[in-house]
Amino acid sequence: MDPTEVEFLAEKEIVKIIPNFSLDKIYLIGGDLGPFNPGLPVQVPVWLALNLKQRQKCRILPPQWMDVDKLEEVREMERKEDSFTPPPSPYYMELTKLLLNHASDNIPKADEIRTLVKDIWDTRIAKLRLSADSFISQQEAHAKLDNLTLMEINTTRSFLLGSLNCMFKLRSNMQPGTSTGKGPDY
Amino acid sequence: MFVTDIRKEFYDVVINQVRVVFLSSKDDKCLDVLLTALFHCDQVQYTLVPVTGWQDLGTAFLEHKEQFRYFVLLNCGANVDLLEMLQPDDDSIFFICDTHRPVDVVNVYNDSQIKLLIKQDDDLGVPSYDDIFRDEDEEADDSGNESDGGSEPAGKRKRYDEGAVERRIERQRAKREWEARRREILFDYEQYEYHGTSASLVIFELAWVLTKDNKDMLWWAVIGLTDQWVHDKITHMKYVTDIATMQRHVSRHNHRNEDEDNSLSIDCMRISFEYDLRLTLYQHWSLFESICNSTYTSCNFKLWSLNGQKKLQEFLADMGLPLKQVRQKFHSMDMVIKENLREVIEESSNKYGMKDIRIQTFGVHFGFKNRFLASDVVHAAAALLESTEKDESASDNFIKALDCLSSNIKKSNLERLHLGIDLAKKKLIAIQQTVASCICTNLILSQGPFLYCYLMEGTPDVRLFSKPMALTLLCKYLLKAFVSSTRNKRCKLLPLVMAAPLDVEKGTVIVLGIPPDSDTSDKKNFFGRAFEKAAESTSSRSLHDHFDTSIIELKMEDRTKFLDALITLLS
Repeated sequence: MDPTEVEFLAEKEIVKIIPNFSLDKIYLIGGDLGPFNPGLPVQVPVWLALNLKQRQKCRILPPQWMDVDKLEEVREMERKEDSFTPPPSPYYMELTKLLLNHASDNIPKADEIRTLVKDIWDTRIAKLRLSADSFISQQEAHAKLDNLTLMEINTTRSFLLGSLNCMFKLRSNMQPGTSTGKGPDY
Repeated sequence: MFVTDIRKEFYDVVINQVRVVFLSSKDDKCLDVLLTALFHCDQVQYTLVPVTGWQDLGTAFLEHKEQFRYFVLLNCGANVDLLEMLQPDDDSIFFICDTHRPVDVVNVYNDSQIKLLIKQDDDLGVPSYDDIFRDEDEEADDSGNESDGGSEPAGKRKRYDEGAVERRIERQRAKREWEARRREILFDYEQYEYHGTSASLVIFELAWVLTKDNKDMLWWAVIGLTDQWVHDKITHMKYVTDIATMQRHVSRHNHRNEDEDNSLSIDCMRISFEYDLRLTLYQHWSLFESICNSTYTSCNFKLWSLNGQKKLQEFLADMGLPLKQVRQKFHSMDMVIKENLREVIEESSNKYGMKDIRIQTFGVHFGFKNRFLASDVVHAAAALLESTEKDESASDNFIKALDCLSSNIKKSNLERLHLGIDLAKKKLIAIQQTVASCICTNLILSQGPFLYCYLMEGTPDVRLFSKPMALTLLCKYLLKAFVSSTRNKRCKLLPLVMAAPLDVEKGTVIVLGIPPDSDTSDKKNFFGRAFEKAAESTSSRSLHDHFDTSIIELKMEDRTKFLDALITLLS
C-alpha cells in the first residue's frame, strides 16, 4: 500500500469547521452534509474541510486530541509502557500533516504540536522495530500487536514480509531434505 | 465608463460567466496573481493570455473572439481607443484595469462595452463630455433649414435665404471654433503620459470588500505598489500615501492572528512594516556590492570615478565597518554589526549628503530562513520576466515570473525566487558598469531640447538592454548619474532619450525617452506623442507597439533623421 493511499483513507475522518457561506444540506453517497450557516460549526470530512479552507470559505477547528497538554500526556504514557498505548486517533499522523500544512493559522501552537506528534511517532516506530527484531530472533510463529495505526503498519509491511520470505527461501534451500527443525512456517 | 460599484458591476457579473479571458500585459504580474487567486476561490474558469504589445493584443483578441464574450484587460488598453483598434462585436464587454493614463476619452464615455476598473479620485482631469462630443441633432438642424429654405417660393426665399445664410455662416464659425477648442483640450489632455494608482491596489480593495482578502493577496498588492516605485512610475508623495493605506491593511491582518497564548506557527507568512535602507537586494548580497550597485548611493558618491571610490571607503570607515565584513555575504556578517546597521548607516549618510537613505517599505518572512523585502521580489520578478537566456520564449518567462511571486504559497517556488534574485544581481551589475562607461566616455550628448545616448552594439551586456524594463532602469540611472556629475546647470533639467540595438539581424533599435530628473517631478512623459509625430513627419519605419507609448522600435538607418525631426519638434 502506498502512503498516499493511507492518507486518502484518513481524509474520511470527520472534523469541525466554521464556514463563512451558507448552503442547504447536501446529499452525498457517503452521507449527508450540512446545512452550512456562516459562523455556526458543522461536521464535515477532512477532504471537504481542506478544499473549503483553500478556497477561503471556512475556518478549521483543531480536533479534540490536537492539544499540547493532551499530546504531552500521550507522549509520556508511550515512553513509559513497553507495549503500544492507544493512539490519539487512528489516523493521527496523516491528520496532523494535512491540517498543519494547510490550516496552520487556525491551530494554536502548531509548531509544538508538530514536535509532539513526531516524538510520539518516533517512540512507536522504535517499539515496532524492537518487536519485529525480537520476533525474528526468537523465531516465533505468530505475534499480536494492539493499538497500531494503519500508517505505522504500512511502514513495515513490505519490508517485513519481503525479508521473511527471503529468510524462508534461504532456510529451506540450505540443506535440501534435512529438517533440523530450523525452518518454521510463516 | 468608470465602474462605481466594483463588486456588483465587475465581480458578480464575471463569476457568473462560464469562461473569461484575461489579456495581460507583462508589466504588473502581481495583478495577474491577485486576480487569478481571487477567481480560484470561486472556481471560475479563466484563460490568461500574456500579450507584449498592441499587435499581440489584437491577435489574441481575434483568436478568442469567437468563444468569449467577456474580456478583462490587465495593465493595457486604457490609453487607446479600444473599440476602434479591436473592432469587437457588439456583445463583447471589456473590463480594463490599467495604470496607464491618460485614459482615452472614448473609453471613458462609452457606456455599453467598456468598463474601467479605475478609482475616480485619481486626479484624472478628463475633459467634460460636451467639450469633446457634439450631438448629432445640430447637424440635422442645418440640413433641415436648408431644405426648408429651398422649398419656399422665390420672393420669400430671398428673405429667408439671407437669414438662413447668416445663420449657417454663424453656425459654421461656431463649429470651427468648437473644433479648434476641442483639439486644444484633447492635445493638453493626451500630451503627457503618466501612471495612476497601482491596479493591484484596486483589485486588493475589491478582495477586501468581498472579505476574501488574506495575507498573500496583501503581499501581492504591496509588491505591485513597490514595483511602481522601483521603476519610477509614480511620485514619492503618491508612494508614501499608498504605503500608508497598505499599512492600515497590514496592521489589520497582523492583529487578527497574533495573541499571546495562541502564537502563530513560524511557517505562516508574516508581513511587517520596515523603515529600511534603500540599498537594492542588500540582504541577499554583500553590503559593499549593494552600495556599489544601488542607484541612490552610487550616484551620490559618484562611484565611477576614483574620487568616488575613495569617498566610499571613507564612508565605510566612518561607520566603523571593517572591509572584510562588508564584503561578505550579508547573512554571514557579525550579529553585532547587523543589529544597529540601519541607524549607523543613516547617521553616516546624513553626513555625506544622502538624506533619504531609508524608505518605508514592507518585508515578509516565513519559516526561519526566508526574509524578503518587497523591492527584492520586484527585482527578482522583473529579471525573470526579461531574462535573455537562449531557448526561452516570452511566455515561459512570464510563467516563471508568476511562479516566483507565489513562492509564499508553494515552497518549491522559492528556488525560482532565488534564481530571480541572482539574475537581478547580474542585471544591476551590468547597469552599473554601463552607466560608468557611458559617463566616463561622455557618451551622453546634449542635442538641445534633450540629452541623447546611443549604446553601441559591442557594449557588453547590450543584449540585456534590448528589453524595455531593463532599458528604462538603465535610462533613469544614467540620467541621475549624469545630473550628479555634470556642472552644466541647464543640462540638469533636460529629459533623456536613449537608443539601444534591439535585433541585429533585422537592424532595429529600441528608443525610449524619460522625463527630466528632479525631486519634484510629476513623472509625466511627453515623449509618446513626440515620437509619433516625429516618425510621421520623417516617414521613418517605426513600430509603436509597446503599451508605454514612450518606447518605440525603429530601423537603424532611420535613426538620424528621426532624431533631427525630434529636435526640431521639441525646440
